[in-house]
Amino acid sequence: MSAAEKMSRRDEMETLLPFYLNGSLEGAELEAVEEWLATDPAAMAALGEAEAEFSGTAAANEAIRPPADALSRFAKALDAEAGPVRAPAGQSWLAKVFGRVTAMPAGVAWAAAAALLALVLVQSFEQPGGKGNDFEVAGAQDDLAKLPFALVKFKPDAKVADIAAFLGQNGLKIAGGPTADGVFHLAIPASTAADYDRLVGLVAAQPFADTVIQGRKPVDGG
Amino acid sequence: MNAATETDRTLVGRVAKGDRAAVRLLFMRHHARIYRFVARQTGSEMMADDIANEVFLELWKQAPSFEGRSEVSTWLLGIARFKALSMLRKKKEDWIDDDDAAQVPDSADTPEVVTMKEDKAAALRRFVDALPEEHRTVIDLAYYHGQSVTEIGEVLDIPVATVKTRMFYARKKLGEALKAAGYDRGWP
Repeated sequence: MSAAEKMSRRDEMETLLPFYLNGSLEGAELEAVEEWLATDPAAMAALGEAEAEFSGTAAANEAIRPPADALSRFAKALDAEAGPVRAPAGQSWLAKVFGRVTAMPAGVAWAAAAALLALVLVQSFEQPGGKGNDFEVAGAQDDLAKLPFALVKFKPDAKVADIAAFLGQNGLKIAGGPTADGVFHLAIPASTAADYDRLVGLVAAQPFADTVIQGRKPVDGG
Repeated sequence: MNAATETDRTLVGRVAKGDRAAVRLLFMRHHARIYRFVARQTGSEMMADDIANEVFLELWKQAPSFEGRSEVSTWLLGIARFKALSMLRKKKEDWIDDDDAAQVPDSADTPEVVTMKEDKAAALRRFVDALPEEHRTVIDLAYYHGQSVTEIGEVLDIPVATVKTRMFYARKKLGEALKAAGYDRGWP
């Protein structure tokens, strides 16, 4: 190999070294560089020089610091470009509230559930016969609204017959629901807090129960 | 699959369906590199800030037409390059105000003078900064952005042979500058 040819090969290898270092080299070019590194005494020194360039270039780039608030400003620009965020279709306001309630601590959830139920009942009683598209309220003579209650969501594969049998055996009644997302208002005919806890615990333990939130609970001695 | 393991291409697919969380995730993954790429292209961090934002808004708009023939990072760099060149053409030379000028590498000093107080690593970094833009860009794209020869050709819209030629001369100039500063590395 002549000196000119050798220099030409060296130039070619030096040109490819950055791509060897960044891992993007493949095929014949990768084999050529590997063969050069294995056979030419000057090659490893050249690789070290390229690594120094690699580090220097990285340092020069990393010295540039993007603004810390870039993401928040971009989010605003995106909202301006795309318009307001739309709520997912098919999820009612009640379902959203229910979802939030399930994420709350138990103490907070009670108050939230009570407020939610009040809204549900007001809405249902405003409709003739107490019937609406989303849920159904039992007859006024039952006065179920005054009973202690829990909010219940059943599993999608729950069988109506199983639920009906369980409710009948334990004297429980569905006082409202379901909402579009399957939330029921379950009246709990308990006179004491202990009885209420037992019944709600029993509901929660059923294989068809998905989520159970405690609602209004009897006050002992009251 | 959680967000951390979702590929960029999967995220672009979600963006195409209007998923804003996906575009924000891509922003977090790529913004810093895009910002730095434009800053080094234009010499202005102010322009880099504007352009990097525009790149991701463009991603939001163009996601449905992304065909996946290149890596998302290459695609974004290409958009950034195009926008940077457009803005530079529009502003020509009068965009360099006093603040920006302070960020442009100062090539007035000779390498010898500059390196008197610097070690080799610092000198090398300065020489990279002082390379002509077309050479420095190829160096940046290969060393910092991990782009292949073909990908650099896509980003810069130049043939593969031109990428190699620019890389050759970029590295040759770095070697010459180092040699002039007393760091002979044996090539060129």
